[in-house]
Amino acid sequence: MKKLSMLLIVLLVFSMALFANGNKEEEAAKAEGFKGIIKIGVLGPLTGTNAEYGVGFKIGTQMAADRINAAGGANGYKLVLIPKDSKGDPKESSDLTRQFCDDSDIMAIIGDFTSGCCMANAPIVDDAKIVQLSPTASNPKYAGMSDYCFSIMGRQDGEAPFFAKYIISKYMGLKKIAMIYINSDWGVSAAENFRTAARDAGVEIVAEVNYVQDEKDFSSLITKLKAADPEALIIMDQGAVAQVINQVRAMGWDIPLTTLGPGTSEQLIGLTGANSEGLILSTPFFFDPQVPELMDWKNEFNEKAKFNPTVHPACAFDCVYLISEAIKSCGDDVTREGIRENLARNQYTGITGPIKFNAEGDITRAYLICQVENGQYVVKKGFDYSAE
Amino acid sequence: MNMLADTKKRAEMVFDKHKVLISLLLLAFLVLLPLISNKSYVMGVMCRILMYATLAGALNIINGYSGQTCLGVAGFFCFGAYTEAILATKVGLNFWLCIPLAGVITALVGLLVAWPTLKMSGIYLAIVTLGFSEIARLLALNATPLTGGALGIKNIPVPEFFGIVIKNSRSYYYLFLVLAIVFIFVSNRVIKSKIGRAWMSIREDELASKSLGVNASVYKAFNFMYGAFWIGVVGCVYAPYVRFIDSTYFTLDEGWNILSMVILGGQGTFIGPVIGSIIVNFLTEVLRPIGQWRLVAFALLIIIMMWYRPQGLAGATDSKLAGNKMVKKLQDRGKKHD
Amino acid sequence: MEYFLNQLINGLCQGAIYALMAIGYSVVVGVVGMVTFTHGEVMIMGAFASYYVFQYCGTNLILGFIVAFLASWVMGIFVYKVCYERFFNSPRHISLLCTIGFSMLVKNLAQIFFGPNQIPMLNIVDIKFFHIGAMQISSLQIMIIALVVGLALALNYVFYHTKFGVMLRSVSQDKTAAYMVGINVKRIAMLGNCVGCGLGGIAGLLICIYYQVVQATMGGALGMKAFSASVLGGLTDVRFSALGGLCIGIVENLGITVTSASYRDVFAFGFLILVLVFKPTGFVKKRGTKV
Repeated sequence: MKKLSMLLIVLLVFSMALFANGNKEEEAAKAEGFKGIIKIGVLGPLTGTNAEYGVGFKIGTQMAADRINAAGGANGYKLVLIPKDSKGDPKESSDLTRQFCDDSDIMAIIGDFTSGCCMANAPIVDDAKIVQLSPTASNPKYAGMSDYCFSIMGRQDGEAPFFAKYIISKYMGLKKIAMIYINSDWGVSAAENFRTAARDAGVEIVAEVNYVQDEKDFSSLITKLKAADPEALIIMDQGAVAQVINQVRAMGWDIPLTTLGPGTSEQLIGLTGANSEGLILSTPFFFDPQVPELMDWKNEFNEKAKFNPTVHPACAFDCVYLISEAIKSCGDDVTREGIRENLARNQYTGITGPIKFNAEGDITRAYLICQVENGQYVVKKGFDYSAE
Repeated sequence: MNMLADTKKRAEMVFDKHKVLISLLLLAFLVLLPLISNKSYVMGVMCRILMYATLAGALNIINGYSGQTCLGVAGFFCFGAYTEAILATKVGLNFWLCIPLAGVITALVGLLVAWPTLKMSGIYLAIVTLGFSEIARLLALNATPLTGGALGIKNIPVPEFFGIVIKNSRSYYYLFLVLAIVFIFVSNRVIKSKIGRAWMSIREDELASKSLGVNASVYKAFNFMYGAFWIGVVGCVYAPYVRFIDSTYFTLDEGWNILSMVILGGQGTFIGPVIGSIIVNFLTEVLRPIGQWRLVAFALLIIIMMWYRPQGLAGATDSKLAGNKMVKKLQDRGKKHD
Repeated sequence: MEYFLNQLINGLCQGAIYALMAIGYSVVVGVVGMVTFTHGEVMIMGAFASYYVFQYCGTNLILGFIVAFLASWVMGIFVYKVCYERFFNSPRHISLLCTIGFSMLVKNLAQIFFGPNQIPMLNIVDIKFFHIGAMQISSLQIMIIALVVGLALALNYVFYHTKFGVMLRSVSQDKTAAYMVGINVKRIAMLGNCVGCGLGGIAGLLICIYYQVVQATMGGALGMKAFSASVLGGLTDVRFSALGGLCIGIVENLGITVTSASYRDVFAFGFLILVLVFKPTGFVKKRGTKV
């Protein structure tokens, strides 16, 4: 019992120690010529299954902050990022969000990676009235949960219908397709939207199967899909897409493959080798070798991270700029509420494209069709249906 | 080890002398804590400590007092939380009514799990509980019409207590505090009663206690149900606290987490799980900067604990949990008489 | 009909993998007499060791097997020293909790040093396909099944027809009695443990080749399946553990065919629990050791 009281005192002292640290940074920034510092919390899975994306967040956001600070800061304020590891666990994410909300120096939160974590945090940021801007949450129900929830990935009910209508139906000209998806909040939502859109586009889903995270053996699922004799297969997932592709080919099935989810992930090609030749996918964004500033960005990221970026770190990069613009619009009085208002109002074009939030707090993206040719991603030009 | 035993003895002596005063002081401190530090972060950590103290305590009733090995706590937790979430969102049932319902339903599930294994040796029960935990999680993931499937259940309504809305960490702190106190109080009475003594005799030597007329199967089943009941109740309070649950909250890792609190803090005593909860949650916060090494540290702690003090820091030293076998103790006693 | 047979073959192959894991597991538990939760991690360590050897020395399968066996053998020594040696005369739950702690330790260290991501293991074995009508089986699947059968027979021979096997069995039945007849119990127990772990290493390598990926977090789930399959064999009998593995694989796959892969573990554990309810000792008629 005595231990309990001792422990509580230690806890309080510890949390006060955390607070004391902040002042040092403020003084250092003033010495550099800034008006002060503004802290932004960054949440992401730095460890765990989605570690690649969390690390991408950390590096992408830091790149943006460095550039903004080098150019004089956001209206003279130095941006300081506080990255924390949410491990992709909604509980951990919520705890860290609460920490951020309590720290009155933190003006906004960038993150988390999965819609599940973001949705778990929504009631907390709503209460604390602080912006949660996710680079990648795509669940259509997320942004509507609170005025303070934003996302710039593009909604699932935008990408999946695009896939069904333009890729399957118009570009590939197919009528019968089989679907395999991950049974997670993202996967179920994507599958749901795809099913509806496929029906509207006159595409028949002859077979569909799903699996849970960490599934390794898809052979019986693939056998089931094969028996339905589809014209193509769509794989909806991020982590296990490589596995599925490899096992489909390992079973000697050379059906055309398409995937929704990983975007133009270099890791995917690395994990599948020749098996992914001819793979077709949709992506809201592509590192076009023709555009030099994108290539510079990609190389800079590659140097820092030791792996190639997908669209996700680019979105994180844009998020920092979005917050920075909102801070600028606030003028001298930078508050959490002010950031929220200006974020909702502003329009900005980042490296991932034009961003203007709709009433709910997310955006509709335009998508590109990509195919793997000779181990590289190639954008199919002339099929830019995004205007429609 | 002697130092630890001495400190413990001294603490116990002081405690015994001024039992009432210390308890009142502690209670006052806990009740007034939110006024001393209103930071939501501190409140959040305290909520976690209290919640896990109750969970670890309930697991301790099963593992520590009756000697059964339950490894599937997460499954019961899952049932309790989902019961509340489903009843509150789909049927609109009042939170306070959900508490006993969630507890009873989880207890019945506990009976279902325990009943087939009553006649098997301990390890089979452990396996079955492990399997049950995974089955519970997968059912929660797949039974979409009932549990929301992969999308989980969101917007779980917050409870009200005579007009006060229990929404932020501070209010939940009191809720968890009351829950923990009620749990300790009730369980203390149960352990000191005939039931508790039967449990402990089964733990020490099941065959001997059977030969003395103890109906081991009935008591073991009841023990399981009792532990499951409280875990279900905690789950019921947990659901509106996080406002959104899905099956990823109740993985095996969560089960290992709660188990490690029981192991480190102590089995077979009341203070053990509380200390375990404090240690584990405190270390979780303090060791955050070192990332994954934190889990390595926990694992090492468990191994060290098993090597040097298997009953845990504050566990029941004079029981089978400490690694003694009854035979050896009787032999020692025989030697002393020589 | 062919569809059903194809699924049956899938189930058989999945079951062969489980059987392979269960064989190593039951050797360990049989000889040491204590249930372990670390077998999954031991298997994956063997696979990782072979992976790194493949990176530097080219993909020679035989070399891979030897390296995996040795790496897991060494790990087995650690497991033995940390989790078993001290607890021979203690209540069973203590060593069980110790193995849980050890598996946590290895799992997290592996994630720190190897990274948590999937690492591809491609093109280790040249896969050829054999077709019988519309059914298809690959050379890799045949290799796994052959290995399972071969190992089960070989171990059966060792256990029941060699002096070493007699020593192993006596240690597993009653350590005190074995000690009294002059057997070095500690050494035999460690040897039996390491052999089981070594076999686990080979199983781990084959599994990673089959799934074409190796990942630090794979151990836990695999260990659970090995455990379940072994339980069906009364935890100690090698032949029935292998049979248990095959059954779980087939039941799982048939279940998935009807529902979806999200229910895989429900079928696996459900089957296990059902068998335990009706026949607590699994498939064997009587148990050889007290576990």
